[in-house]
Amino acid sequence: MTTLPGLPGLPGLSLTAPSSHEAPTFVSQSHITRTQELPPGTEYRFEVSFSCRLSVKLISGTAEYFGTELAPNSKDPYLFSEGTKGAIYTWHGCKLELEGEVESEYVAEETKMDTYANAHFALEKVREQAAQHNDTGPRVLVVGPGNAGKTSVVHILTSYAVKMGRQPLVVNLDPRQGMLSVPGSLTAAAFSSIVDVEEGWGSSPISGPSPIPVKMPLVYHYGMPSPEENGGKYFKPLVTRMALAVTSRLEVDRAARVAGFVIDTSGAMSRGKGGVYENIEHVVSEFSVNIIFVLGSERLYSDLSRKYSHRTTPDDHVTLIRLDKSNGCVDRDEDYMKQFRQAQIRSYFFGHGENTLSPSTHWEDYSEMSIYKVAGEINPAFRSGDDEDDDDNAYGTSPSIFEKVTPSPQMQNSLLAITSARASDSHETIRDASVIGYLYVADVDDAKKKLRLLSPQSGRTPNNAMILGCWPEDVPGLVS
Amino acid sequence: MSLPSAEVAADFRDALQDLKVNSRPEISNLTIIAKESTEHAQAISRELENHIKTTRPEWKLPALYVLDSIVKNVGTPYTVYLGRNLYRTFMDAYVLVDEPTRKAMEGLLRTWKQPVPESMDPRPVFPVEMTRDIENSLIKFRTMAVQQAQRSQKPPMQQGLPPRPASNANVPWRHNPTPPQNATRYTPSNDPRLRQNFPPQHGTQNTPQMPPQNQFQPPNSGFTQPTASADLDTINADLDNLINSAKTDFAQNPSDVPRQQKLKTLLDLQTILKTRTLLPNQLSQIQEQIRQLAPPTAPAPSLPPSLPVPPPMIQSPQQAPPPFQATNPSFNLAQILAAARASGPPPPPAQANTSLADLLRRTSSPMQSSGTPTSVAPFPLPFPAAPMPPAPAPVPTPVPVTPTPAPSLAQILQQFGKSQPVPAAPPPPSALQFSLPQFLAQQPSTPANPAGGAEWLLNALKAQNMIPPVGASPFPPPFANAPPQAEVIGQPGSAALNAANDVELTTASMKISRPNLISKLYFAVPNQCVTCGRRFENTPQGKEKKARHMDWHFKVKDPDLSKRGIHRSWYISEREWIDYREVDETAPEQAVNGSGSAGAATAPKKETKDQYVPVPTDPTLVHAPCPICQERFEPQWLVEANDFVWMDAIKVNSKIYHATCWEEYSKGANLSVPFAAPATPDSVLGKRKAEGVSNSAEKKLRA
Ligand SMILES: Nc1ncnc2c1ncn2[C@@H]1O[C@H](COP(=O)(O)OP(=O)(O)OP(=O)(O)O)[C@@H](O)[C@H]1O
Ligand SMILES: [Mg+2]
Ligand SMILES: [Zn+2]
Ligand SMILES: [Zn+2]
Repeated sequence: MTTLPGLPGLPGLSLTAPSSHEAPTFVSQSHITRTQELPPGTEYRFEVSFSCRLSVKLISGTAEYFGTELAPNSKDPYLFSEGTKGAIYTWHGCKLELEGEVESEYVAEETKMDTYANAHFALEKVREQAAQHNDTGPRVLVVGPGNAGKTSVVHILTSYAVKMGRQPLVVNLDPRQGMLSVPGSLTAAAFSSIVDVEEGWGSSPISGPSPIPVKMPLVYHYGMPSPEENGGKYFKPLVTRMALAVTSRLEVDRAARVAGFVIDTSGAMSRGKGGVYENIEHVVSEFSVNIIFVLGSERLYSDLSRKYSHRTTPDDHVTLIRLDKSNGCVDRDEDYMKQFRQAQIRSYFFGHGENTLSPSTHWEDYSEMSIYKVAGEINPAFRSGDDEDDDDNAYGTSPSIFEKVTPSPQMQNSLLAITSARASDSHETIRDASVIGYLYVADVDDAKKKLRLLSPQSGRTPNNAMILGCWPEDVPGLVS
Repeated sequence: MSLPSAEVAADFRDALQDLKVNSRPEISNLTIIAKESTEHAQAISRELENHIKTTRPEWKLPALYVLDSIVKNVGTPYTVYLGRNLYRTFMDAYVLVDEPTRKAMEGLLRTWKQPVPESMDPRPVFPVEMTRDIENSLIKFRTMAVQQAQRSQKPPMQQGLPPRPASNANVPWRHNPTPPQNATRYTPSNDPRLRQNFPPQHGTQNTPQMPPQNQFQPPNSGFTQPTASADLDTINADLDNLINSAKTDFAQNPSDVPRQQKLKTLLDLQTILKTRTLLPNQLSQIQEQIRQLAPPTAPAPSLPPSLPVPPPMIQSPQQAPPPFQATNPSFNLAQILAAARASGPPPPPAQANTSLADLLRRTSSPMQSSGTPTSVAPFPLPFPAAPMPPAPAPVPTPVPVTPTPAPSLAQILQQFGKSQPVPAAPPPPSALQFSLPQFLAQQPSTPANPAGGAEWLLNALKAQNMIPPVGASPFPPPFANAPPQAEVIGQPGSAALNAANDVELTTASMKISRPNLISKLYFAVPNQCVTCGRRFENTPQGKEKKARHMDWHFKVKDPDLSKRGIHRSWYISEREWIDYREVDETAPEQAVNGSGSAGAATAPKKETKDQYVPVPTDPTLVHAPCPICQERFEPQWLVEANDFVWMDAIKVNSKIYHATCWEEYSKGANLSVPFAAPATPDSVLGKRKAEGVSNSAEKKLRA
């Protein structure tokens, strides 16, 4: 995303433009429009930076972006920004018109789209069966190491299912990257309308019309970078809770039931300890997963098949399938991911691309806020990562999951999750409560005991229980 | 080649149109556009100047902030282009705006004399000569204003619009030729943005601070007179007249296809008006269209070019611009309809323009239905076909490419959801694929399709292993010998589309390439929306869905209501999410998630203030305030209804009240509230079910 240098206060304006990094390099625009022919079965791979954008128009033929078909010859080109890395694939050959700056681009002749399409059609067969017997459709989990293309495959499977008139649920269990919400959240949403091309998974509801139908996510706050934090003590109960909600939805929503769901995970979950993948097992059992796609890791595949191959009864049978990793996958470093997350947070408040939103700021007394943070949590920078201290039955029943925090200047630039729980609710209730929205702490006036909060909406913030996570990282200067 | 300046400028202008408050994100956004399009700086600068000049006084300040933001953040070349007319841009606005805005403008001017804060460049934002000129004039202006005030203690002249002359009263005001410049005949009055009903706070009457000297209101400029009068009855009456005359016309020339079509179209329009509920701005557009279709009437009563105007208080070096001169050329329905009318009936199908699809169609005839072109043409062929490789006899030689004919009125009507069999001259397949938004985009600017080739189609066939690679052999002999090709591109009922899905859930099965299956994602669903790429089946239901889909695109583009202070909504609760049913814009009616009556019986009662009604299309209702408190309703977009609604509203006996007002009133009057509470789950905020999910789910999971 292109950013503005901090504007010295203009008269009449209270918010300054979000800025993602200090000194945006503003590349003088050559803006050469070029055409790109793609033979059938190839894809155009590109990476755009956070300060440039690429516009793409489909001139002839057919083309798709991670499964979503591009509109033919439409007036408005597709705009890729915010550091997007992606590929436009064509089954039939196409001609694209490209304009803008890219960090890298090339046409790849070897792709894995055949495989991913097959995966889709295999699921489709299960859905057909499910529709006939009013049964539940495929319950899919996608695992694999970081940057193996898990999210991309989930995207493709979702888009194809939507294209065939299905309404799959997608569950995101990766806190490093948000789906329809900010990073740090875990979400579930049904997709019945076209999956956005320009903005990741699209947009959650806004108070006005949207050119691509919005998606309605159910949001929980996890607030840590990896499911493995605290040995999964916080992650697992949340998974259980989400599984309950998703299962309930499937029970009452026929379209969702038939289409089933696909779960995206973070690479950390696939690391395991000594060939044991506690969190994967937990997810499989809570969501009654019956199909696992393993991307790009032989080892993980064989570890998991050892675990699941003995299950043969129809009820707990798990089909394990290995999918090849696309060599288009880009290894994204932490620096990139950080910028990517900040862009996600910005677009939660300010919108994406042309759809600008108007958040508002207001001051709130310390005393009006009930803020919790996970007990014993320390700064992630000092955490070793594999503390093997407790066993799993330690979670869920502890009386002090959280500790209450009084606002302090350290809170500046962080996100608060407004849960749907009351401040007086039990810790478990607060942990399991879905989130109604996020606030950003723009300012802390410790003398006056007030916080300046950026809120998606104007008006007072509900005084529900709020969770302050250590994740995502602080976003300096979202508002100044 | 880069984007033509005109296009960039048009985008910029569109974005500007929505800027009505000091919205930081919007201003940033515009700045970003400007920054990224420095090669179009001149065009953008012109748009910006023009917008500042022509927009309503109360919207000038945000636009000036855009100027300010651009010159400070982008600098050259904008400082150069905007500097040229800075004096005029500034002064012309200054004299029109109210006192607080003037103060703000003076503040801006002060910053322009300084260097950009925190910048390395020590020079002021604009050269001192420029700012000095403006300052001098401001001083003069203030002096004269004081003198003027002392001279005449007259109350300020009635502000805003000159009243409509009485002589005009019985003529719907729009029947007058629109603004002075006839060159841009369709543009000014047709811009839907200009015909919106401005919410009261933007009402033209609310600008009493406007100095009178520049009130050269073109009396009919459309902008000044919000269309309180998109009145269904008038439209119907006008339409009746048109239909009558078209009938006569047709009776006299019974074999004339265009006349026949015109009549048919008008009748369809009538049906639409009677059967569909249209948004106010759609009504306006239709009214506009009717106006355009009407036979030339006697010239409208001519009005004096300006009402008595007091002598200008300042000696502005420039002539005062006609305020609010609408220059937005964004296209709209009426314009398109006008364009379609101008170009006459759709020409006969472009058969001469042989495409590969045509060939395939001809050679695969037995199993195909000879229905309308859409059902035959398997998918949009956006381009005239490229010359075919040499091929035997039946293949005609290539013919010159012809542009796709302008879409007909009939096709536009189709977009309104009425399927209209087009008599006699079906438009070519590609034309049928047009959507309303595409009309909006493409008419009348360019021929629909630039030159292109069908090579991608050949490629597609190759990819499906239906055609050997070029070079292996020349093109396969006559297509007649190669039925599979026809199948591949999706003739209904063809084997390819019914290709058995033989993918097994095994790792090995994933690796086999199955191009035949891909057509299930493409040509089995051939009817594609050009705006978003979504596909629809080529069945009557599919067409209906697509029509509703296009309506939806049209609706969300509604410029009237779209962009005022949009914000992210709160997420719904767990319970709500479980009960939520996805909204499909192609479904006939959104009877779910609380807007309809379905499920009302079991649903918890809705909070009074959360009740809503869809914005009525009845013109009297849409303008009526709440009968109890006399306040007007504000339209807003409601996701769960997928429509514009009035919140806190209830319809009782064909009147719409604030639900809260009504509740108060009926309590006092001891009436019961006569409605079934629509089904919506708990309010989003605060409440939350302690036991979020059902027991059965719990059991299921534990089992
Ligand atoms: N075929 C492709 N061409 C170009 N880029 C691709 C392709 N497939 C994936 N990518 C890009 O590579 C990056 C990694 O892919 P993706 O996010 O799908 O992996 P992941 O396994 O979900 O990663 P993580 O473990 O971090 O969640 C992304 O930026 C994605 O857009
Ligand atoms: Mg991922
Ligand atoms: Zn569409
Ligand atoms: Zn009222």
